[in-house]
Amino acid sequence: MRNLFNFIIRNSHWLLAILLIVFSFYLVFAHNPYQRSVYLTSANSVTGWFYTMSSNVTSFIHLRKNNQMLLEQNAVLENELFSLKSYINDIAVTDSSDVDAFVRDSTEQTQFNFIPAEVVNLSFSGVNNFITINKGSKDGLKPDMGVISQRGVVGVIANVSTNFSVVIPIINPMFRLSARLKNSVNYGSISWNGERVSTAQLGELPKHEIYQAGDTVMTSFSRIFPKNTIIGFVSSMGKTSDDNFNTFNVELATDFNSLQDVLVINDQFYEEQKLLENSLER
Amino acid sequence: MKTLYFKEVLVFILLILLQVLLLNRINIFGIATPVLYLYFLLKLPVGRNQFFVIISGFLIGLIIDIFLNTPGMNAAATTIMAASRKPIINLFYDKEIYDEFVPGINTGAGPFVRFTIFMVLTHLTLLFFIESFTLFNLLNTVIRIISSSIISILLILALDGLTFRKKAGEQ
Repeated sequence: MRNLFNFIIRNSHWLLAILLIVFSFYLVFAHNPYQRSVYLTSANSVTGWFYTMSSNVTSFIHLRKNNQMLLEQNAVLENELFSLKSYINDIAVTDSSDVDAFVRDSTEQTQFNFIPAEVVNLSFSGVNNFITINKGSKDGLKPDMGVISQRGVVGVIANVSTNFSVVIPIINPMFRLSARLKNSVNYGSISWNGERVSTAQLGELPKHEIYQAGDTVMTSFSRIFPKNTIIGFVSSMGKTSDDNFNTFNVELATDFNSLQDVLVINDQFYEEQKLLENSLER
Repeated sequence: MKTLYFKEVLVFILLILLQVLLLNRINIFGIATPVLYLYFLLKLPVGRNQFFVIISGFLIGLIIDIFLNTPGMNAAATTIMAASRKPIINLFYDKEIYDEFVPGINTGAGPFVRFTIFMVLTHLTLLFFIESFTLFNLLNTVIRIISSSIISILLILALDGLTFRKKAGEQ
């Protein structure tokens, strides 16, 4: 113990020197921004190197898990590719003019072009329903164009922006469309009473018009839709406010709850017909 | 004894003033700056108390740092030199030298020149590496160390020769 004290006393000037040197270096780092910056950056590069090494190790450990994840993702993508391929095959077989919604009529079909679009927003929350689709004036869409799905009538374009369009569907109180039963020449008018999304009303039909459940309801004279486009199927007798007319409930062909792809009808002769009819009115 | 300390304090102050006011404004070719204040450490008697040597070394470095606005750099270098002064003297001088021995040209030119070269080179190496604090641009740092060392060594030897002659003239 005494030797230790002797050692400390004999070498105490070294302790003093070390103390003063440490103090000097403290001054260097505390008051010289350059040295501090060099010290800090070298410290950063050391910690950075350390972090790189540790991340290398951990990524190696996680290789198996990542591999599994990639395999699962690959399987999902494979499925998607397969379904898309079959979908393409389906489309290649059925021409766009062969849409199921029509009863074919070879003389009128060249009048119409179909622009495919996707539904980006559905608003069926209240009475004022509308649908937004991802095609706009850029793709040649204009207001008053008809919109159909693979099964039947969807609605009419109300507003068009550059890339989007708003469609007023059948299930909107503002919507009116003349329609008739398949095996009859009398026409009435389709409207929606705001009760159920799947059902519209075919009204203003003559009292003597009778129905059978499942009768097809189709468009009649319309500037917007081709003749004989399917709207839906009669399900029951509806309430009527006027004794002179019958009203039928119509189960709509289009399922608005699962609507995804629609076709916009571009009528080549729309302007011509409109001009002609307007000239008569003047 | 009192006059000896007085003389040392005087040398201490003069060396600091000389270094701060004159020598640090010299920058030959943009690389070499003479460092003279180490002369104080060289000329202390061999047997001087180590605490005195270390504290005075630290103080001279610290005061120069305060004047040059480089806190700690000169202080660190001079403190290291002051602490290792005794072992370095033992390298170049016989162990049998008495305590009041003062290294100088008049007390053996050969060992003093070697002692000076070693001390100045080590000191300036420490100083410049503390200053640059990185091995980046190493060649530039080494050139600065060597050129500054040559200038400083020449200046110290010249100063020692001058004082020696003056003393010889007095005697």
